[in-house]
Amino acid sequence: MAYSDKVVDHFNNPRNMGSFKKDEEGVGTGMVGAPECGDVMKLQIKVQNDTIVDAKFKTFGCGSAIASSSLATEWLKGKTIEEAQQIKNTDIVQELNLPPVKIHCSVLAEDAIKAALADYQKKADGEGSGTK
Amino acid sequence: MARSMCWHCQSAVTGEYFCERCVKVQPVSKETDYFTCLGFPRRLMLDSKQLEAKFYEMSRTFHPDFYQTKSPAEQTISLGNAAVLNTAYRTLRDPIQRAEYLLGLETGSVKDIRTSPPADLFEEILELQDTLEEYRASERDSQEGRALRATLETEQRALEQRKQDLEAQLQRLFTEWDQLQDRGEATSQARADRDRLLKQMRDLLSNRTYITSIVNDLATTIA
Repeated sequence: MAYSDKVVDHFNNPRNMGSFKKDEEGVGTGMVGAPECGDVMKLQIKVQNDTIVDAKFKTFGCGSAIASSSLATEWLKGKTIEEAQQIKNTDIVQELNLPPVKIHCSVLAEDAIKAALADYQKKADGEGSGTK
Repeated sequence: MARSMCWHCQSAVTGEYFCERCVKVQPVSKETDYFTCLGFPRRLMLDSKQLEAKFYEMSRTFHPDFYQTKSPAEQTISLGNAAVLNTAYRTLRDPIQRAEYLLGLETGSVKDIRTSPPADLFEEILELQDTLEEYRASERDSQEGRALRATLETEQRALEQRKQDLEAQLQRLFTEWDQLQDRGEATSQARADRDRLLKQMRDLLSNRTYITSIVNDLATTIA
């Protein structure tokens, strides 16, 4: 099963690769892993006035995992927190044309988005910082 | 592992793999777990010699080669049974796969055990990824390339050591699990111990997978 052109494109030209400082104001960090395959994904959002102004990711894993998180950061930029909550792994599957064996990569990306949003909320609510 | 009724003569099956009345081979039930299939208790410390001996013994019973002169129905059953047997043996032969399989049986699915992701380990893996990228982009024979390589080799050794430590810890949990099963108590303490062990094993197995994956990446890059 070959990767779709979109996956290859995101893999070769990943968007928004990198990271923010975790303790920076308005930054939410999502750190997730897939114990089945050993993939690790870190996704961060920077929020101002309830809107995601920037997003970054770092992924250690297969092409589909990298493409899924790259796409996720593209989609996140400009969205409000509430809109970001609506992003589903199935949207990623559709956009990237992922085959069934790679669906878990999109699930990982959705988990990373959720974790980043939760971390941002937690920090915003003043319940402490960090991702643990 | 036999069905309750013979597919051929419809009499109650009392034998293990064969109908005692018409002597036809019986299909292994789809619900049979691999431990039961190979005739072992649901334990994590299995004797590999015994496991192998049992596998060979059962292979002789089910191997399609011995069914060439039998009816098509019997040939199909022998083929199906041999396939199940092979998968069962491959899964149980490896202690890690065996534990993953047992965890699946005990908890339904991996996702049913709630664990918190090891954030520190993830950070470490991603940082190593960056160093690996730098190394890939560097000139191998340059001073920078050699320095990066040395760093990566040190990291690789450290991670391999950690993997061994994790495996030693897992080994201890395996023994503890078996002892708990052997006692067979139904107390609330036993249930709490069971849940704790499952969670600890899940965490260690996951961390081992993450470490294995980055170690493999390191090994292929600096090989």
